[in-house]
Amino acid sequence: MREKMPKKMLLLFLLLASPILRAQDTKIPPDVEKLSARAKETVEVTMDGPMLRWASKFLSSEDPEEQKAAKVVANLKGIYVRSFEFDKDGAYSASEVETLRSQFRSPGWSRVVGVRSQQDGDNVDIFFRLENDKMAGIVIIAAEPRELTFVNIVGSLEVDQLADLGGEFGIPKLDQKSLSKAHKGDQR
Amino acid sequence: MNKNMTPDNDTNPMDEILKRTLQRQEAPDGFADRVLARLSERRSSQKPSLRDSWLRFLAQPLVRWAALAAFATAMILSGHLHNLRRERAEGEAAKQRLMLALRIAGSKLQLAKSRVNEINAGQPERPEERE
Repeated sequence: MREKMPKKMLLLFLLLASPILRAQDTKIPPDVEKLSARAKETVEVTMDGPMLRWASKFLSSEDPEEQKAAKVVANLKGIYVRSFEFDKDGAYSASEVETLRSQFRSPGWSRVVGVRSQQDGDNVDIFFRLENDKMAGIVIIAAEPRELTFVNIVGSLEVDQLADLGGEFGIPKLDQKSLSKAHKGDQR
Repeated sequence: MNKNMTPDNDTNPMDEILKRTLQRQEAPDGFADRVLARLSERRSSQKPSLRDSWLRFLAQPLVRWAALAAFATAMILSGHLHNLRRERAEGEAAKQRLMLALRIAGSKLQLAKSRVNEINAGQPERPEERE
């Protein structure tokens, strides 16, 4: 009986720790993969460390956009993206997104941004994974009425690199003026 | 009818003429030597054709080995070039995927940023904050 106790405790520990370990190791949660069946269009990008390093060799040092991308990618271990576009609203449920979010509400992960827009229905969550007070990964879950995007970037990412990610790659930087203009345009 | 004119007559003048004409005659002295000499003279004066010279050149064992080596090198080089070209195309495709992933990630970060900015801009200042 006494000999069996440590085994039971180990089993219990493994059972309790498995969701945490799974969240840390999961590149693309299975719930995300299931959504592709309902999507009109799917974008899938899976790039592990060796693939990332190989792809980054082809980034041109003369192209400013690719130069910045090379800096961002330098310390990354993987990039996993799934983006689904649906042909109608409500193709996925709020509970499905919530289940997805809950996987990253575990030790090691910090939710740094959570946006809920009742007007546009855009919900964005950004989770950071920290290791020794350094960022070791980022997960973005963007749920829009007809689009759901899951991004998992594994590896150390500096804050300025993160800012580069946000403002480059052909997407115009949104300042307050452009935002208000866009808002007025929407109202018209 | 004259007896001499009969077809089976041995002394037919036509036969005589033929016999004399086709009679074996010895070649004049030195005829064979002269023919052989003239032949060898013609052969030596005749220039070899380009094709013949090439064939003779290619027939040499060293040239044959060199041609084989050159062919093998060309095959290896073309295979290597093909691999390089394929690798380059795959690398470019991987780069495009990487850029797409970064663009998507960037756009979603931008979306979050814009929504946060929107919320901050839309928040009315509280009276107690003014004080």
